[in-house]
Amino acid sequence: MDKRIWAVGGGKGGTGKSFVSSGLGLHLASLGHDVMLVDADLGGPNLHTLLGMRNGHPDLGDFLTNRVGSLEEAAVETPYEGLRIVRGSENILFIANLNHYKKLRLLRQVRQLAAQDVILDLGTGSSYNTLDFFLSADPGIVVATPEPTAIENSYLFLKSCIMRVLKLYMDHYKIPDLHQKMLEQIEKNSQSLYSFFKSLLESDRSYGTILYRALRNFRPCLIMNKARDQADAELGRSVADVARRYLLIDLHFLGAIPYDARVHSSLKALQPFTTAHPDSAAARAIRSAAEELIYAVEHSRRTPPEIGFPSPR
Amino acid sequence: MIKRIEDWTYYELLNVERTASQEEIREGYQAALATYAPGSLAAYGLVTDDERRQIAGRIEEAYQTLCDPERKEAYDLSLLKRSYYYSPKAPFRRTVGRLEIEEAPPKRGFRQALRRLFPRRKGAAGPD
Repeated sequence: MDKRIWAVGGGKGGTGKSFVSSGLGLHLASLGHDVMLVDADLGGPNLHTLLGMRNGHPDLGDFLTNRVGSLEEAAVETPYEGLRIVRGSENILFIANLNHYKKLRLLRQVRQLAAQDVILDLGTGSSYNTLDFFLSADPGIVVATPEPTAIENSYLFLKSCIMRVLKLYMDHYKIPDLHQKMLEQIEKNSQSLYSFFKSLLESDRSYGTILYRALRNFRPCLIMNKARDQADAELGRSVADVARRYLLIDLHFLGAIPYDARVHSSLKALQPFTTAHPDSAAARAIRSAAEELIYAVEHSRRTPPEIGFPSPR
Repeated sequence: MIKRIEDWTYYELLNVERTASQEEIREGYQAALATYAPGSLAAYGLVTDDERRQIAGRIEEAYQTLCDPERKEAYDLSLLKRSYYYSPKAPFRRTVGRLEIEEAPPKRGFRQALRRLFPRRKGAAGPD
Protein backbone atom coordinates (compact mmCIF):
# COMPACT_ATOMS: atom_id res chain seq x y z
CA MET A 1 0.00 0.00 0.00
CA ASP A 2 1.20 3.54 -0.79
CA LYS A 3 2.37 5.73 2.03
CA ARG A 4 -0.20 8.30 3.07
CA ILE A 5 1.00 11.76 4.03
CA TRP A 6 -1.56 14.14 5.44
CA ALA A 7 -0.85 17.69 6.57
CA VAL A 8 -3.10 19.56 8.95
CA GLY A 9 -2.91 23.32 8.56
CA GLY A 10 -4.89 26.52 8.24
CA GLY A 11 -4.27 30.20 8.57
CA LYS A 12 -5.39 30.95 12.09
CA GLY A 13 -4.12 29.81 15.46
CA GLY A 14 -6.38 28.11 17.99
CA THR A 15 -8.63 26.37 15.47
CA GLY A 16 -7.59 22.94 16.72
CA LYS A 17 -5.01 21.76 14.20
CA SER A 18 -2.99 19.80 16.76
CA PHE A 19 -6.20 18.46 18.30
CA VAL A 20 -7.30 17.15 14.89
CA SER A 21 -3.81 15.79 14.07
CA SER A 22 -3.59 13.86 17.33
CA GLY A 23 -7.16 12.58 16.94
CA LEU A 24 -6.54 11.37 13.38
CA GLY A 25 -3.26 9.74 14.39
CA LEU A 26 -4.78 7.96 17.38
CA HIS A 27 -7.67 6.65 15.33
CA LEU A 28 -5.45 5.34 12.52
CA ALA A 29 -3.20 3.66 15.12
CA SER A 30 -6.25 2.07 16.74
CA LEU A 31 -7.13 0.59 13.33
CA GLY A 32 -3.77 -1.17 13.36
CA HIS A 33 -1.91 1.26 11.09
CA ASP A 34 1.69 2.21 11.66
CA VAL A 35 1.39 5.97 12.19
CA MET A 36 3.96 8.75 12.55
CA LEU A 37 3.02 12.21 13.75
CA VAL A 38 5.45 14.99 12.85
CA ASP A 39 5.12 18.22 14.79
CA ALA A 40 5.99 20.64 12.00
CA ASP A 41 4.56 23.62 13.87
CA LEU A 42 7.94 25.29 13.78
CA GLY A 43 6.92 28.37 15.75
CA GLY A 44 5.06 26.74 18.64
CA PRO A 45 5.16 22.97 18.83
CA ASN A 46 2.93 21.23 21.36
CA LEU A 47 1.56 18.11 19.72
CA HIS A 48 3.37 15.96 22.29
CA THR A 49 1.41 17.68 25.08
CA LEU A 50 -1.88 16.64 23.51
CA LEU A 51 -0.65 13.05 23.68
CA GLY A 52 0.27 13.42 27.34
CA MET A 53 4.02 13.52 26.70
CA ARG A 54 6.69 15.90 27.92
CA ASN A 55 9.08 17.75 25.67
CA GLY A 56 12.56 16.26 25.34
CA HIS A 57 15.17 14.86 23.03
CA PRO A 58 15.42 13.62 20.36
CA ASP A 59 13.23 16.07 18.47
CA LEU A 60 12.96 17.79 15.10
CA GLY A 61 15.73 20.24 16.05
CA ASP A 62 18.14 17.32 16.61
CA PHE A 63 17.50 16.19 13.06
CA LEU A 64 17.90 19.67 11.59
CA THR A 65 21.17 20.25 13.46
CA ASN A 66 22.46 16.81 12.42
CA ARG A 67 22.60 15.46 15.97
CA VAL A 68 20.69 12.50 14.62
CA GLY A 69 21.27 11.16 11.11
CA SER A 70 17.69 10.88 9.91
CA LEU A 71 14.17 11.97 10.77
CA GLU A 72 13.40 8.35 11.61
CA GLU A 73 15.97 8.50 14.42
CA ALA A 74 14.28 11.62 15.81
CA ALA A 75 11.01 9.72 16.26
CA VAL A 76 9.96 8.43 19.68
CA GLU A 77 7.26 6.02 20.79
CA THR A 78 4.07 7.43 22.30
CA PRO A 79 2.09 5.67 25.04
CA TYR A 80 -0.25 4.47 22.27
CA GLU A 81 0.45 1.34 20.28
CA GLY A 82 1.31 1.90 16.63
CA LEU A 83 1.76 5.66 17.09
CA ARG A 84 5.13 7.39 17.03
CA ILE A 85 5.96 11.08 17.06
CA VAL A 86 8.70 13.43 15.96
CA ARG A 87 8.39 16.11 18.59
CA GLY A 88 8.81 19.78 17.74
CA SER A 89 11.97 21.53 18.78
CA GLU A 90 12.42 23.55 21.94
CA ASN A 91 14.86 25.72 20.04
CA ILE A 92 12.10 27.74 18.42
CA LEU A 93 14.08 30.77 17.24
CA PHE A 94 16.46 28.70 15.20
CA ILE A 95 13.99 26.27 13.76
CA ALA A 96 11.19 28.66 12.77
CA ASN A 97 13.48 30.27 10.21
CA LEU A 98 14.24 27.13 8.29
CA ASN A 99 16.34 27.72 5.18
CA HIS A 100 15.49 26.28 1.78
CA TYR A 101 18.03 23.47 1.92
CA LYS A 102 16.89 22.28 5.35
CA LYS A 103 13.27 22.44 4.27
CA LEU A 104 13.91 20.25 1.23
CA ARG A 105 15.89 17.80 3.35
CA LEU A 106 13.04 17.62 5.85
CA LEU A 107 10.46 17.07 3.10
CA ARG A 108 12.59 14.32 1.58
CA GLN A 109 12.99 12.61 4.94
CA VAL A 110 9.26 12.80 5.64
CA ARG A 111 8.68 10.79 2.46
CA GLN A 112 11.28 8.25 3.59
CA LEU A 113 9.83 7.67 7.06
CA ALA A 114 9.19 4.01 7.75
CA ALA A 115 5.50 4.44 8.56
CA GLN A 116 2.38 3.69 6.59
CA ASP A 117 0.69 6.94 7.61
CA VAL A 118 2.45 10.22 8.26
CA ILE A 119 0.56 13.20 9.67
CA LEU A 120 2.21 16.62 9.64
CA ASP A 121 0.89 19.08 12.18
CA LEU A 122 1.59 22.53 10.76
CA GLY A 123 1.76 25.93 12.37
CA THR A 124 -0.28 29.04 11.70
CA GLY A 125 0.39 31.58 8.99
CA SER A 126 1.20 31.37 5.31
CA SER A 127 5.00 31.30 5.27
CA TYR A 128 6.62 29.45 2.37
CA ASN A 129 7.75 26.70 4.74
CA THR A 130 4.22 26.03 5.98
CA LEU A 131 2.77 26.21 2.46
CA ASP A 132 5.35 23.79 1.08
CA PHE A 133 4.71 21.26 3.84
CA PHE A 134 0.99 21.58 3.21
CA LEU A 135 1.39 21.17 -0.55
CA SER A 136 3.66 18.16 -0.18
CA ALA A 137 0.85 16.21 1.47
CA ASP A 138 -2.06 14.46 -0.18
CA PRO A 139 -4.35 15.77 1.01
CA GLY A 140 -3.70 18.87 3.05
CA ILE A 141 -6.43 19.42 5.61
CA VAL A 142 -7.52 22.94 6.56
CA VAL A 143 -9.00 23.22 10.03
CA ALA A 144 -11.29 26.21 10.51
CA THR A 145 -13.76 27.32 13.14
CA PRO A 146 -17.11 29.04 12.48
CA GLU A 147 -15.85 32.56 13.13
CA PRO A 148 -15.20 35.35 10.61
CA THR A 149 -11.53 35.59 11.60
CA ALA A 150 -10.92 31.89 11.06
CA ILE A 151 -12.85 31.80 7.77
CA GLU A 152 -10.99 34.85 6.49
CA ASN A 153 -7.62 33.33 7.41
CA SER A 154 -8.55 29.99 5.88
CA TYR A 155 -9.30 31.66 2.56
CA LEU A 156 -6.07 33.62 2.84
CA PHE A 157 -4.18 30.39 3.48
CA LEU A 158 -5.83 28.67 0.50
CA LYS A 159 -5.14 31.69 -1.72
CA SER A 160 -1.48 31.61 -0.69
CA CYS A 161 -1.36 27.90 -1.53
CA ILE A 162 -2.89 28.56 -4.95
CA MET A 163 -0.43 31.36 -5.69
CA ARG A 164 2.40 29.07 -4.67
CA VAL A 165 1.10 26.23 -6.87
CA LEU A 166 0.68 28.57 -9.84
CA LYS A 167 4.14 30.04 -9.36
CA LEU A 168 5.76 26.60 -9.21
CA TYR A 169 3.75 25.47 -12.26
CA MET A 170 4.64 28.54 -14.30
CA ASP A 171 8.31 28.29 -13.32
CA HIS A 172 8.39 24.62 -14.25
CA TYR A 173 6.67 25.04 -17.61
CA LYS A 174 8.43 28.34 -18.31
CA ILE A 175 5.39 30.59 -18.73
CA PRO A 176 7.00 33.84 -17.53
CA ASP A 177 4.43 36.15 -19.15
CA LEU A 178 1.61 34.61 -17.16
CA HIS A 179 3.63 34.71 -13.96
CA GLN A 180 4.41 38.37 -14.60
CA LYS A 181 0.72 39.08 -15.21
CA MET A 182 -0.21 37.34 -11.95
CA LEU A 183 2.34 39.36 -9.98
CA GLU A 184 1.22 42.64 -11.52
CA GLN A 185 -2.50 42.15 -11.14
CA ILE A 186 -2.66 40.46 -7.76
CA GLU A 187 0.30 41.76 -5.84
CA LYS A 188 0.59 45.28 -7.27
CA ASN A 189 -3.01 46.11 -8.22
CA SER A 190 -4.58 44.16 -5.30
CA GLN A 191 -6.93 42.39 -7.68
CA SER A 192 -8.76 39.42 -6.20
CA LEU A 193 -7.68 35.96 -7.29
CA TYR A 194 -11.07 35.35 -8.89
CA SER A 195 -10.96 38.62 -10.89
CA PHE A 196 -7.52 37.63 -12.10
CA PHE A 197 -8.73 34.18 -13.17
CA LYS A 198 -11.75 35.75 -14.83
CA SER A 199 -9.75 38.33 -16.77
CA LEU A 200 -7.40 35.55 -17.90
CA LEU A 201 -10.24 33.35 -19.12
CA GLU A 202 -11.83 36.31 -20.92
CA SER A 203 -8.59 37.27 -22.66
CA ASP A 204 -7.84 33.74 -23.86
CA ARG A 205 -9.83 30.56 -23.22
CA SER A 206 -6.67 28.46 -23.43
CA TYR A 207 -5.56 29.96 -20.10
CA GLY A 208 -8.39 27.90 -18.63
CA THR A 209 -6.47 24.79 -19.61
CA ILE A 210 -3.32 26.04 -17.94
CA LEU A 211 -5.16 26.95 -14.73
CA TYR A 212 -7.02 23.66 -14.76
CA ARG A 213 -3.84 21.66 -15.17
CA ALA A 214 -2.01 23.66 -12.53
CA LEU A 215 -4.75 23.42 -9.93
CA ARG A 216 -6.27 20.01 -10.59
CA ASN A 217 -3.93 18.22 -8.20
CA PHE A 218 -4.43 20.74 -5.43
CA ARG A 219 -7.47 19.26 -3.75
CA PRO A 220 -7.38 20.13 -0.07
CA CYS A 221 -9.90 19.05 2.55
CA LEU A 222 -11.72 21.10 5.15
CA ILE A 223 -12.76 20.33 8.72
CA MET A 224 -15.02 22.74 10.59
CA ASN A 225 -14.03 22.44 14.23
CA LYS A 226 -15.92 23.67 17.32
CA ALA A 227 -19.32 23.65 15.59
CA ARG A 228 -22.01 24.65 18.10
CA ASP A 229 -25.12 24.15 15.99
CA GLN A 230 -26.39 22.88 12.65
CA ALA A 231 -25.70 26.23 10.95
CA ASP A 232 -22.02 25.95 11.97
CA ALA A 233 -21.89 22.45 10.56
CA GLU A 234 -23.49 23.60 7.29
CA LEU A 235 -20.98 26.45 7.07
CA GLY A 236 -18.26 23.99 6.05
CA ARG A 237 -20.27 22.96 3.01
CA SER A 238 -20.83 26.60 2.09
CA VAL A 239 -17.13 27.43 2.44
CA ALA A 240 -16.28 24.51 0.15
CA ASP A 241 -18.83 25.82 -2.37
CA VAL A 242 -17.41 29.35 -2.27
CA ALA A 243 -13.85 28.01 -2.67
CA ARG A 244 -14.92 25.95 -5.67
CA ARG A 245 -16.45 28.94 -7.40
CA TYR A 246 -14.07 31.75 -6.42
CA LEU A 247 -10.75 29.94 -5.93
CA LEU A 248 -11.40 27.32 -8.63
CA ILE A 249 -10.28 24.48 -6.39
CA ASP A 250 -11.98 21.29 -5.30
CA LEU A 251 -12.18 21.76 -1.53
CA HIS A 252 -13.51 18.56 -0.01
CA PHE A 253 -15.55 19.11 3.15
CA LEU A 254 -14.80 16.28 5.56
CA GLY A 255 -17.32 17.26 8.19
CA ALA A 256 -17.82 19.28 11.34
CA ILE A 257 -16.49 18.47 14.79
CA PRO A 258 -18.95 19.56 17.49
CA TYR A 259 -17.72 21.87 20.23
CA ASP A 260 -17.04 20.00 23.46
CA ALA A 261 -16.13 21.79 26.69
CA ARG A 262 -14.37 18.66 27.95
CA VAL A 263 -11.54 19.20 25.45
CA HIS A 264 -10.16 21.81 27.81
CA SER A 265 -10.25 19.55 30.86
CA SER A 266 -8.67 16.60 29.04
CA LEU A 267 -5.89 18.92 27.86
CA LYS A 268 -5.26 20.02 31.43
CA ALA A 269 -5.15 16.38 32.50
CA LEU A 270 -2.61 15.69 29.71
CA GLN A 271 -4.88 13.06 28.25
CA PRO A 272 -5.90 12.86 24.57
CA PHE A 273 -9.54 13.83 24.27
CA THR A 274 -10.49 11.03 21.88
CA THR A 275 -9.22 8.35 24.28
CA ALA A 276 -10.68 10.05 27.38
CA HIS A 277 -14.11 10.49 25.76
CA PRO A 278 -14.28 7.96 22.93
CA ASP A 279 -18.08 8.06 22.75
CA SER A 280 -18.39 11.83 22.52
CA ALA A 281 -19.78 13.37 19.32
CA ALA A 282 -16.46 15.16 18.73
CA ALA A 283 -14.45 11.92 18.93
CA ARG A 284 -16.92 10.22 16.60
CA ALA A 285 -16.62 13.10 14.13
CA ILE A 286 -12.81 12.78 14.10
CA ARG A 287 -13.04 9.04 13.51
CA SER A 288 -15.48 9.58 10.70
CA ALA A 289 -13.22 12.25 9.13
CA ALA A 290 -10.26 9.83 9.30
CA GLU A 291 -12.24 7.10 7.58
CA GLU A 292 -13.56 9.50 4.97
CA LEU A 293 -9.98 10.58 4.32
CA ILE A 294 -8.82 7.01 3.86
CA TYR A 295 -11.72 6.44 1.50
CA ALA A 296 -11.21 9.77 -0.30
CA VAL A 297 -7.50 9.26 -0.78
CA GLU A 298 -7.80 5.71 -1.96
CA HIS A 299 -10.80 6.05 -4.24
CA SER A 300 -12.45 9.29 -5.23
CA ARG A 301 -9.30 11.40 -5.37
CA ARG A 302 -7.90 9.25 -8.12
CA THR A 303 -10.80 10.01 -10.45
CA PRO A 304 -10.88 13.31 -12.34
CA PRO A 305 -13.54 15.90 -11.46
CA GLU A 306 -16.90 15.86 -13.16
CA ILE A 307 -17.09 17.00 -16.76
CA GLY A 308 -19.07 20.21 -17.12
CA PHE A 309 -20.83 21.76 -20.11
CA PRO A 310 -21.14 25.42 -20.95
CA SER A 311 -24.42 27.16 -20.31
CA PRO A 312 -26.51 28.60 -23.14
CA ARG A 313 -26.12 32.29 -23.69
CA MET B 1 -12.23 22.73 -17.38
CA ILE B 2 -12.20 25.83 -15.25
CA LYS B 3 -15.22 28.06 -15.81
CA ARG B 4 -16.32 31.53 -14.82
CA ILE B 5 -19.43 31.84 -12.67
CA GLU B 6 -21.29 33.18 -15.72
CA ASP B 7 -20.63 29.85 -17.43
CA TRP B 8 -22.04 27.64 -14.65
CA THR B 9 -25.30 25.97 -15.53
CA TYR B 10 -28.34 26.46 -13.31
CA TYR B 11 -27.85 22.95 -11.99
CA GLU B 12 -24.25 23.67 -11.08
CA LEU B 13 -25.30 26.89 -9.39
CA LEU B 14 -27.74 25.04 -7.16
CA ASN B 15 -25.40 22.05 -6.71
CA VAL B 16 -28.00 19.56 -7.92
CA GLU B 17 -27.99 16.82 -10.52
CA ARG B 18 -29.86 17.28 -13.78
CA THR B 19 -32.18 14.52 -12.67
CA ALA B 20 -32.96 16.27 -9.34
CA SER B 21 -36.55 16.33 -8.12
CA GLN B 22 -38.38 19.57 -7.33
CA GLU B 23 -37.74 18.96 -3.65
CA GLU B 24 -33.99 18.57 -4.22
CA ILE B 25 -33.94 21.70 -6.36
CA ARG B 26 -35.68 23.65 -3.58
CA GLU B 27 -33.19 22.35 -0.99
CA GLY B 28 -30.26 23.22 -3.28
CA TYR B 29 -31.69 26.70 -3.77
CA GLN B 30 -32.07 27.30 -0.05
CA ALA B 31 -28.52 26.12 0.67
CA ALA B 32 -27.09 28.26 -2.14
CA LEU B 33 -29.11 31.26 -0.98
CA ALA B 34 -27.79 30.86 2.58
CA THR B 35 -24.22 30.70 1.27
CA TYR B 36 -24.52 33.97 -0.64
CA ALA B 37 -26.97 35.83 1.60
CA PRO B 38 -25.94 39.33 2.80
CA GLY B 39 -23.65 38.96 5.81
CA SER B 40 -22.92 35.30 5.05
CA LEU B 41 -19.92 33.98 6.95
CA ALA B 42 -18.98 31.65 4.10
CA ALA B 43 -18.41 34.56 1.73
CA TYR B 44 -16.54 36.60 4.32
CA GLY B 45 -13.11 37.76 3.25
CA LEU B 46 -13.23 36.28 -0.25
CA VAL B 47 -16.31 37.43 -2.13
CA THR B 48 -16.91 41.13 -2.68
CA ASP B 49 -20.41 42.57 -2.27
CA ASP B 50 -20.78 43.03 -6.03
CA GLU B 51 -19.74 39.45 -6.69
CA ARG B 52 -22.09 38.20 -4.00
CA ARG B 53 -25.01 40.14 -5.45
CA GLN B 54 -24.22 38.84 -8.92
CA ILE B 55 -24.18 35.18 -7.89
CA ALA B 56 -27.25 35.59 -5.68
CA GLY B 57 -29.06 37.00 -8.74
CA ARG B 58 -28.02 34.03 -10.85
CA ILE B 59 -29.12 31.60 -8.12
CA GLU B 60 -32.53 33.27 -8.02
CA GLU B 61 -32.75 33.11 -11.81
CA ALA B 62 -31.74 29.42 -11.70
CA TYR B 63 -34.43 28.58 -9.17
CA GLN B 64 -37.15 30.53 -10.99
CA THR B 65 -36.32 28.56 -14.13
CA LEU B 66 -35.92 25.11 -12.62
CA CYS B 67 -38.98 25.24 -10.36
CA ASP B 68 -41.24 25.92 -13.32
CA PRO B 69 -41.65 22.62 -15.27
CA GLU B 70 -42.20 24.33 -18.62
CA ARG B 71 -39.23 26.68 -18.31
CA LYS B 72 -37.14 23.80 -16.95
CA GLU B 73 -37.91 21.67 -19.97
CA ALA B 74 -37.03 24.49 -22.36
CA TYR B 75 -33.78 25.09 -20.46
CA ASP B 76 -32.86 21.39 -20.45
CA LEU B 77 -33.44 21.30 -24.21
CA SER B 78 -31.29 24.36 -24.73
CA LEU B 79 -28.51 22.69 -22.72
CA LEU B 80 -28.74 19.58 -24.85
CA LYS B 81 -28.72 21.57 -28.07
CA ARG B 82 -25.59 23.42 -27.11
CA SER B 83 -23.62 20.48 -25.77
CA TYR B 84 -21.91 18.04 -28.06
CA TYR B 85 -22.48 14.43 -27.21
CA TYR B 86 -19.59 12.45 -25.89
CA SER B 87 -19.97 9.02 -24.45
CA PRO B 88 -19.30 8.90 -20.68
CA LYS B 89 -16.08 7.08 -21.45
CA ALA B 90 -14.71 9.79 -23.73
CA PRO B 91 -11.09 10.12 -22.63
CA PHE B 92 -10.88 13.89 -23.08
CA ARG B 93 -12.74 16.97 -22.04
CA ARG B 94 -14.57 19.30 -24.35
CA THR B 95 -13.20 22.83 -24.90
CA VAL B 96 -9.92 22.16 -23.22
CA GLY B 97 -7.94 21.94 -26.42
CA ARG B 98 -4.89 20.08 -27.48
CA LEU B 99 -3.24 19.62 -24.09
CA GLU B 100 -6.03 17.50 -22.69
CA ILE B 101 -6.61 15.48 -25.80
CA GLU B 102 -2.99 14.41 -25.59
CA GLU B 103 -3.98 12.44 -22.54
CA ALA B 104 -6.24 10.21 -24.58
CA PRO B 105 -4.88 6.73 -25.22
CA PRO B 106 -3.22 6.30 -28.63
CA LYS B 107 -5.71 5.86 -31.43
CA ARG B 108 -6.09 2.30 -32.64
CA GLY B 109 -5.01 2.09 -36.24
CA PHE B 110 -5.85 -0.33 -39.00
CA ARG B 111 -2.90 -2.53 -38.07
CA GLN B 112 -4.09 -2.89 -34.46
CA ALA B 113 -7.64 -3.65 -35.65
CA LEU B 114 -6.27 -6.44 -37.83
CA ARG B 115 -4.15 -7.73 -34.96
CA ARG B 116 -7.26 -7.98 -32.78
CA LEU B 117 -9.18 -9.86 -35.45
CA PHE B 118 -6.28 -12.19 -36.23
CA PRO B 119 -4.24 -12.57 -33.03
CA ARG B 120 -0.75 -13.87 -33.46
CA ARG B 121 -0.46 -17.56 -32.68
CA LYS B 122 1.81 -18.62 -29.84
CA GLY B 123 5.33 -19.47 -30.98
CA ALA B 124 4.78 -18.02 -34.45
CA ALA B 125 7.87 -16.18 -35.63
CA GLY B 126 7.86 -13.20 -37.89
CA PRO B 127 8.62 -9.54 -38.10
CA ASP B 128 6.68 -7.27 -35.74
